[in-house]
Amino acid sequence: MKVAKKILGVAVGALLLGSVPAMAETIKVGIIGPFSGPFALQGKNFQAGVEAYMALNGKSVKGHEIEVIYRDLPAANPAQSRALAQELIVKDKVQYLGGVYFTPDAMAITPLLKQANTPLVIFNAATSAIMTQSPFVVRTSFTTAQTTTPLGKIAVERGVKKVISAVSDYGPGVDAENAFKKAFEAAGGKVVEAVRMPLNTTDFSPIMQRVRDSGAEAVFAFLPSGPTTLGFVKAYNETGLKQAGIKFFAPGDLTQESDLPALGDAALGLLTTFHYSVSHDSPENKRFVEAATKAIGSVEQLSFPAVGAFDGMHVIYKMIEATDGKQDAQKAVDAVKGMAWTSPRGPVSIDAETRHITENIYLREVAKGPDGKTYNKEIQTFPNQKDPGLATQ
Amino acid sequence: MQVAAQTPEIATSSSAGYRWARDAVGVTLILAAGLAGYWLFPDNLALLTRVIAVALLVLSIDLVTGYGGVATLGQAALFGAGAYAAGIACVNGVTEPLTLILIGAVAGAVAGLFMGTIMLRAHGLAQLVLSIAIVQLFHEAANKASAYTGGSDGLAGLMVSPLFGAFEFDLWGRTAYLFGLALLIVVFASLRFIVSSPFGMLCRGIKEDPVRIRAMGAFVFPVLLKMFVISGAVAGIGGALAAISTQVVGLDSVSFELSANALVMLVLGGLGTLYGALVGTVIFMGFEHVVSAINPFHWMTMVGALLIGVVLAAPGGLSGLLDRMSGISRRRKEKRT
Repeated sequence: MKVAKKILGVAVGALLLGSVPAMAETIKVGIIGPFSGPFALQGKNFQAGVEAYMALNGKSVKGHEIEVIYRDLPAANPAQSRALAQELIVKDKVQYLGGVYFTPDAMAITPLLKQANTPLVIFNAATSAIMTQSPFVVRTSFTTAQTTTPLGKIAVERGVKKVISAVSDYGPGVDAENAFKKAFEAAGGKVVEAVRMPLNTTDFSPIMQRVRDSGAEAVFAFLPSGPTTLGFVKAYNETGLKQAGIKFFAPGDLTQESDLPALGDAALGLLTTFHYSVSHDSPENKRFVEAATKAIGSVEQLSFPAVGAFDGMHVIYKMIEATDGKQDAQKAVDAVKGMAWTSPRGPVSIDAETRHITENIYLREVAKGPDGKTYNKEIQTFPNQKDPGLATQ
Repeated sequence: MQVAAQTPEIATSSSAGYRWARDAVGVTLILAAGLAGYWLFPDNLALLTRVIAVALLVLSIDLVTGYGGVATLGQAALFGAGAYAAGIACVNGVTEPLTLILIGAVAGAVAGLFMGTIMLRAHGLAQLVLSIAIVQLFHEAANKASAYTGGSDGLAGLMVSPLFGAFEFDLWGRTAYLFGLALLIVVFASLRFIVSSPFGMLCRGIKEDPVRIRAMGAFVFPVLLKMFVISGAVAGIGGALAAISTQVVGLDSVSFELSANALVMLVLGGLGTLYGALVGTVIFMGFEHVVSAINPFHWMTMVGALLIGVVLAAPGGLSGLLDRMSGISRRRKEKRT
């Protein structure tokens, strides 16, 4: 059987060597994301954003052909993430790494960057701490604290003094709870009770009872998108909390566009804050949505990771332009520090200190469009929000 | 619990000398295959290191399932215990790699003692369900204790010092791979020794017929518990190796998915031979790697097809099939082909 193992080794080797080395002036970009499994839609959005950018801006920079290599990482798995990144760097000789949906996966890649002389442009992974792990990381997404913080002020402005927070008991949920509490109490409100729900909760009526009993005027919620959010929103409607005038605040992850059809009319009137809505009214966004829809197949599947990827590619193109095709991570990252441009989501810039994106956060209300479909309607803008989780706020 | 359709016959006829020679050849071949991997795929060493870490996990399942007859879907609890113990120790200043491996092994063994004590109280399906419950508990504990484990963000910032003060764990992963290979060889050789000892024979006897073993006057529970502790140490070494080479420990290392995948690899390779565990891991992960690179969007289908194919064509796992093909199976009574 050992012989067979060797034969297999040779066979695998032949397959691996089969990938033809590209021509000298081609610059390779490795994109790691969840392209299969339960998060495949988010990966597809990465791909749509990348393809949309390349369709609108050409496939070469200063005569350097750009080749994108996708690698699948279906769920958070740091060991696999590191192996994929290492292989992209060492074997495929990529000059830039991009993508990354989950925080632990990004954490596993950061120790490689210095030695590899490769910048990493994060399209999604949203924990503040990643940025401090390596000076070669740039991020074009958002952090939960960044999108949640404006809600504190909004709640107080709308006359809410007492809020109960209900979050799923996992990393991002706890981050959201803390960020909201900090912002809301700074604005003069009070979080009367903080409920942490197990991730796989499906029956939310006891939670709704606690909301009612707490005497709060509003509920702040954070749950992973998908069926759990659906269940929570339905329970909120059906137990009469909505009719009783208890307001509902949440970060925009809950009403991302790809989930809206499933939420249906139950979502109407929900107030969320986020950095991007597919409905954002600007010529840049119109072009983006058109190109990305072509790449992904249907506009209903489009949501925020696509815009993270789109702007991520913009950053990578600017890096290539600055280094003229030479591999120089420091020069590439320096070139985009402080860079400002108009993204489909609105005006954005890369903070020179933190390398995290500074962007507008919008308050949106789920409304019904003329075509009968629900969408996120932007009703208030909080310009140039930095990540409060990073030092230089 | 009887999990395999076939029951490998205990090789009573082979003399001790023959067994020694065969094991020596086997270990040499693993070493040769490992070194060949080093030369053939110098750009894939991170993947190969991951294969070794998972191979240790699969070996540990083989010990309790293939030799002890206890089916488990929760072995990642032991792997994760090793990984988190090594990770937490490393973050707190213990950075010497061999010490970290030792910490991982001890943590895995302790977790194995705990898991075995609980699981061996039940039999059959209840046992399997307990194993799932335990791995979920470990997972939730690691998630909750985010002050120590980093929760769902993962435990990052492991700065392992160079091996023997000279060989750094770097981008190319040469040190990590050779270190892992050396660990695998040592562990494998020790395990061959253990499973062919009277203790190993007793375990196999229990797997075949626990009532009879009891009637012979041996105690079943402590024997299997001992196997669980050994298995835990092996899984813990795998976890510690993963932590050292990745420099991050994530919740996936204590997940049900990892446990289930590892069991699939074992079944693919063949139960109760130790070699099968290695073959299964290499083939499963190698295949997964190749097809996911060719088509990152629909590769899962291919893996599913491979599994169905293997289960239909070789119910005893690949190593069983290869045994038959190479004629080593002469001394085996095949109940069916």
